Amino acid sequence: MAQYEDRVLHELDGIKEYDNPMPGWLMAIWWGSLIFSAAYLIFYALSFGEGTMDAEYRAETVQTVTAVQSHFDANPLVPPSPAELLGGAANDAVLAAGESRFARTCAACHGDKAQGLIGPNLTDDRWIHGGSVEQVFQSIAKGWPAKGMPPWGRALRPDELAALVSYVRSLQGSNPPNPRAPEGEPFVAEAIPGR
Amino acid sequence: MSNSVRYDDRSPRLFFIAAVVWAVVGMLVGVLIAAMLFMPALNLAPYLTFGRLRPLHTNAVIFAFCGNIIFGGVYHSMQRLLKARTFSDTLSAFHFWGWQLLIVAAAVALVTGTTQGKEYAELPWVLDIVIAVLWVTFAVNFFGTIATRREKHLYVAIWFYIATIVAVAILHIGNSMVVPYSLLGSYSAYAGVKDALMQWWYGHNAVAFFLTTPFLGLMYYYLPKAAERPVFSYRLSIMHFWSLVFVYIWAGPHHLHYSAVPEWASTLGMLFSLVLWMPSWGGMVNGFFTLRGAWHKVREDPILKFMIVAVTYYGMSTFEGPMMSIKSVNAVSHFTDWTIGHVHAGALGWNAFLSFGILYWVIPRLYKTPLYSVKAATFHFWVATIGLIGYQVSMWVAGITQWAMWRAFEPDGRLVYPDFIETVVRIVPMYWVRLLSGLLFFAGLLVFCWNLFKTIKSAPADYAVEPDVLAPPLVREHVAPGAVTPANTYDYALYSFQHAIRHGFHRMLESRTVTFTVLTALALAVGSLVEALPMFFNTSNVKEIASVTPYTPLEVVGRDIYVREGCYNCHSQLVRPFLYETERYGEYSKAGEYVYDRPFQWGSKRTGPDLHRVGGKYPSLWHVRHMERPSSTTPGSIMPAYPHLLTSHFDTSLIGAKMRALRTLGVPYSEGEIAIAADAMDTQAKAIAAEVESQQGPTGLADKEIVALTAYLQRLGTDIRWKRPVAQLPYAAGVTPAPAPAPAVAGGGASR
Repeated sequence: MAQYEDRVLHELDGIKEYDNPMPGWLMAIWWGSLIFSAAYLIFYALSFGEGTMDAEYRAETVQTVTAVQSHFDANPLVPPSPAELLGGAANDAVLAAGESRFARTCAACHGDKAQGLIGPNLTDDRWIHGGSVEQVFQSIAKGWPAKGMPPWGRALRPDELAALVSYVRSLQGSNPPNPRAPEGEPFVAEAIPGR
Repeated sequence: MSNSVRYDDRSPRLFFIAAVVWAVVGMLVGVLIAAMLFMPALNLAPYLTFGRLRPLHTNAVIFAFCGNIIFGGVYHSMQRLLKARTFSDTLSAFHFWGWQLLIVAAAVALVTGTTQGKEYAELPWVLDIVIAVLWVTFAVNFFGTIATRREKHLYVAIWFYIATIVAVAILHIGNSMVVPYSLLGSYSAYAGVKDALMQWWYGHNAVAFFLTTPFLGLMYYYLPKAAERPVFSYRLSIMHFWSLVFVYIWAGPHHLHYSAVPEWASTLGMLFSLVLWMPSWGGMVNGFFTLRGAWHKVREDPILKFMIVAVTYYGMSTFEGPMMSIKSVNAVSHFTDWTIGHVHAGALGWNAFLSFGILYWVIPRLYKTPLYSVKAATFHFWVATIGLIGYQVSMWVAGITQWAMWRAFEPDGRLVYPDFIETVVRIVPMYWVRLLSGLLFFAGLLVFCWNLFKTIKSAPADYAVEPDVLAPPLVREHVAPGAVTPANTYDYALYSFQHAIRHGFHRMLESRTVTFTVLTALALAVGSLVEALPMFFNTSNVKEIASVTPYTPLEVVGRDIYVREGCYNCHSQLVRPFLYETERYGEYSKAGEYVYDRPFQWGSKRTGPDLHRVGGKYPSLWHVRHMERPSSTTPGSIMPAYPHLLTSHFDTSLIGAKMRALRTLGVPYSEGEIAIAADAMDTQAKAIAAEVESQQGPTGLADKEIVALTAYLQRLGTDIRWKRPVAQLPYAAGVTPAPAPAPAVAGGGASR
């Protein structure tokens, strides 16, 4: 570190002030930050809206959509078979996962016991969009946006979707309190193997 | 005129003791809300909830604790630096008692939910006027003392005090402009994006001119005093004072990166924040280098220990600040606990530590007795330092964790953590670390109080006797205008100018208070005007969206409840243009959507999820059950319960006054709409209550606050139509992801 002269300039109430120069490295920070900012401002002004946050966002979106598409080209999504979905309804671990996801995602509209709230009752034997486990899976994954049912295939993991279907199948005929009135066509639930 | 003065040490004593009392209150509330944040059962609605107590904590530590330190320190040091007694003892007493009463009134207002809903400017408009009166009292006392000074040149500490007094006055008045609708209620004169810009111009510069410049002034007096060493560089003092005052005021918009504020404004905010690095560090360098030759004293002296850590933390915070202002860094830190860690590094590390050092030095001198226990002070130092580091590190970890979890995508384009609650539960251990660190800091504070109490108890009986201090009056030549004397010629004028400037231009400026103050005000005005004026005169900054309409009367009342409960303390209303945000919340927020938001409610921290697109996301019954018991709809939720919203009636008596106040500000409500407002509220409330009943929810809610709040929440973000860029997955044959992002906004003008 540089040697400073330590020449006293003033004294006031016992406090002296030295006449030392400003440290060079501190002035380097000053001029560096000024030059960087001036350059940034010039490039920013000359870009005429290119590289704005909206443009960045659009580029990010295109990139992600492409990446997702190529992911699915390489790993085609195969919906689980009815046997898998029905088998899950006899598997306690799958049912627990389905119950947990149902409470967080589905209960808001279908009720905490699937008795129906703003969305239909999922425990009775009537189905608006088909009651087979395959159809229920498609309803959850693709949704019925026109009727207010969002598609969950984007937001939930494949195993979570499958667990949800198994859980809903396991609720068939559970007769929860305060059910919503039956809607749709009757459907005889498929048998759960081993139960 | 006598050749001596007597200093008024009573006022500094009072202010310093008040500061210690409010430090205990403010930090106790801080520890309390650190626990309430993640233990919802500790919240006792309606009065003692996180949303109401967090503003109490910030106001108490900033304006009560730091405020009293500033006043005590200014009153104590300025008399000695100006060689003059404070201008008026009566004004000092009025200032002291007025400020303490203001704090008590503020606490009552905040706990009862009387708030303007803008961070660090929450107090109702009547109290804003009281603040203005007391600040003017302070200014009169301060400049009056300067006018009667017996020391020709103003010392660097006085420069920083001048900047403080001028800037805080400008900021307070500028940001507090409102149209009142009742004695305690008002709407901000600015709406949405403009309100956001004004608020962060204020908020950032409150940090600058309430927590930085006055404390730098105090450092320049008490650090050389305690170290008994000369100030390192007078030139550096000049350089960093003027650059700090000029540059700081521009930096506010760095709080609004990736928001609906125009990009030129936040870009300027970022660049001036970077330029602010040297001006800030100038203070640190002058502090550090003043200790050259006194480092051996630091080992024994707890006062210097506190001061040196304060200067270190000042340097760390003012480095971290510019870094966080860089857009890409801010994208990480914003809305996370990193910000909380940053402000506490500054507030605890710099403000509180410097205050502790000052008080340990000044209290024994004001009471003419040695400090009761140096050992206890050293113990306080180490406990507080451990608490400080624990606080900062836990918030860094929590902040980075939140960001990493919010933005995590699976290769198939799904969010890894689609439920916001997962990202909350994960950082609860860090909230424990923060709570324990805060408790350590608070324990140190209690030791400090005990030590000061014992010191004051052992003061001699004559401690309050004010001795004469030798200070001959300044000799000033008074020449009658037009008189024919040698002192009235151009030659003489030239000679006296040469005489005045012989030690440099700045030395001359230091003896001219009015010129100095005017230049300071000009330095502050440039940045303020360049950033604010285009927002008000160039309409392209806030593009109009035709589909955005004013809030209905019921939504207005619901919004007031949202503000009253302090929801903005944990929830943002600003979706940033990042895919991981639009994927989670919906289309990113546009400036034109906020034109009826007075005050804006963007928030600065997401303890809970963003709410700008919450409208229509859930059935109304969900909101009712969520407010009554949040864990019933979100298992694991740490949000406090608000059961009183289901039982208390919403207020209809003020709706006419509220709508008229909003109309004064330009909201197009017709006289007819105002006349039937109560009926309109009733109709909308009944419709929502009926919807809740039809969903098998509780009955009889049609006149309850929950319905008004639900009306507001269901409206949020629904004025524009939008859809997700990636809408579907190829689960069934023939269903493929959308090939390209569609422009998401309806309403023409909104898309950029």
